Amino acid sequence: MNETPVIQLSGLRKRFGAVTAVDGVDLTIRPGEVVALLGPNGAGKTTTVDLLLGLATPTDGEARLFGTDPRTAVVDGRVGAMLQGGALLPDVTVRDAVALVAAAHRHPMPVAEALRRARCTDIATRRVSKLSGGQLQRARFAVAVVSDPDLLVLDEPTAAMDVEARHVFWSSMRDFTDAGRTVVIATHYLDEADTFADRIVIIRDGRVVADGTPAAIKATAATRTVRFAGVAADRYDALRGLPGVVGMAVDARGRRGATRDDRGRACEPGHDAVSLRTDRSDDTLRALLTAFPEAHDLQVVASTMDDAFLAITADPATTTDPATTTNTTTSTTETEGVLA
Amino acid sequence: MTATTVTAPATTARGSAAGRLPLRYVLLETRRQLRNVKAMVFTFAIPIVMLLVFGAAYGGQTDPGTHLPFLVVTTLQMTAYGAMMAALSQAFALVNERSLGWNRQLRMTPLSGWAFLVSKLVSAMAFAAVSITLTFAVAILGMHASLGAGHWFAAGLGIWAGVVPFALIAILIGQFAKPAYAQPMFMVVFMGLSILGGLWVPLSVMPAWMGSVAHLLPSYWLNRIGQTGAGATGSAGMTEPTLVLLGWTVALAAVIVWRYQRDAARR
Repeated sequence: MNETPVIQLSGLRKRFGAVTAVDGVDLTIRPGEVVALLGPNGAGKTTTVDLLLGLATPTDGEARLFGTDPRTAVVDGRVGAMLQGGALLPDVTVRDAVALVAAAHRHPMPVAEALRRARCTDIATRRVSKLSGGQLQRARFAVAVVSDPDLLVLDEPTAAMDVEARHVFWSSMRDFTDAGRTVVIATHYLDEADTFADRIVIIRDGRVVADGTPAAIKATAATRTVRFAGVAADRYDALRGLPGVVGMAVDARGRRGATRDDRGRACEPGHDAVSLRTDRSDDTLRALLTAFPEAHDLQVVASTMDDAFLAITADPATTTDPATTTNTTTSTTETEGVLA
Repeated sequence: MTATTVTAPATTARGSAAGRLPLRYVLLETRRQLRNVKAMVFTFAIPIVMLLVFGAAYGGQTDPGTHLPFLVVTTLQMTAYGAMMAALSQAFALVNERSLGWNRQLRMTPLSGWAFLVSKLVSAMAFAAVSITLTFAVAILGMHASLGAGHWFAAGLGIWAGVVPFALIAILIGQFAKPAYAQPMFMVVFMGLSILGGLWVPLSVMPAWMGSVAHLLPSYWLNRIGQTGAGATGSAGMTEPTLVLLGWTVALAAVIVWRYQRDAARR
């Protein structure tokens, strides 16, 4: 079927003087997709959001929403947004703030309906300046949905929210996406991206460096981590040679005090908690138990979104795993030398 | 190809903007600002206090230039000053809104630069109307300034209409000034306009060069429009003040609309 993409970014570029904030982003988002835009601070997420909403003009390339230019889509009320640095007026009530924005739209939904959808009915008569962080975000969500948009763009929507507020927020979001609408969320919270989005786009240095389902993104990092204790520090080099191992780290907590492991139990000095990152955990485990029968407290953990994110966004020059590991082990040895 | 895609959005936005003015938005925005009237207490009080002081000082003499009672001249002067202040104070509302990011939020609505301008203008004019009414009320009821009802009406309406360019100056300050500079910028503009335009002290007591400067300023003509409305002798009618104030209005409006289109881009 020849359906028009909701968002189409082609060769999008934005320079501010000598800084290139967005450096050639190509991205197509189709109706009904829930996409998380992930990236470290300064990766170009907010600039990308500004460009796709037409709030900034690209230096090069093009952003199209629903097959038209962004401003037309906004004028048609098809786009709602919670922007970073887009606040509400402090001296009005939540209802008045939503009503004011509704009055600027051509075909808004009833204000009460927007308040209900954003779980704001109970705070409708409260002044914006009196709201907690979580309540404020809900009010901003009500403002974003009052035009009854087909596309919702949220830049760091759950910043300043506690766990409970976040839960309420995501449940109101789910109502929205269940109706088949498209959502783009720029966020730092990897676990939220993991559970809520069905597609994750990772941006680093103004470029898309990964794009796929949460599962696929996680799979691009090493798949498992094998953790254990009981191996002496002088045999760490041999650990690194085990089959499937792509990286190794020594748990800092195991090192402290040297006579206690990370659960506080007595242990031999130097027998720290070790984490091996591996892409073949079965082989690694078999070889480990054969060659190091002294290893105990074994755990095999699936990689988290954090692992994947760090692996993808980390600067290749500083993060090759062996280098990090060597540093860690060296410092461990030195500490023990002093203690001995 | 590139040329087409660049010009198309602008045309669409402008075309649709000219088609409609979201009246409901303008009304709600004005009501919102008027509700916050306690922030304006000083703006309304200062011209009244000055009227009480200067009006009483000159007593019942007649101003030789206009052949109006001094009290009436002072009333018109202070009313023009108060209306100007009320309109200019929109600058603070705007700077505040801009630092909050409220206008970024508004860019996510169909609200055009034109409609935005109108909403701010209406709010400024509403504040000016309140200030004019209060100052006239004090002069008439409290100080028994004597002038025919028709002349009061013509003077008040003239001043009120003449406030438009000041509302636009406020919007311009609001758009350009960083929050830290808004206050000094506002002070320079409003003191300059007040003193050089002869709103505080009559120009007849000032050096001659200031008279020539005054003729370029909208504040001078704002005062003149009031005096003409009040039936001052020797005024050359409404044509000249109207043309000067209209010129300011058109020029300022053009800069503001141009600026609004670019302001929403955060950097």
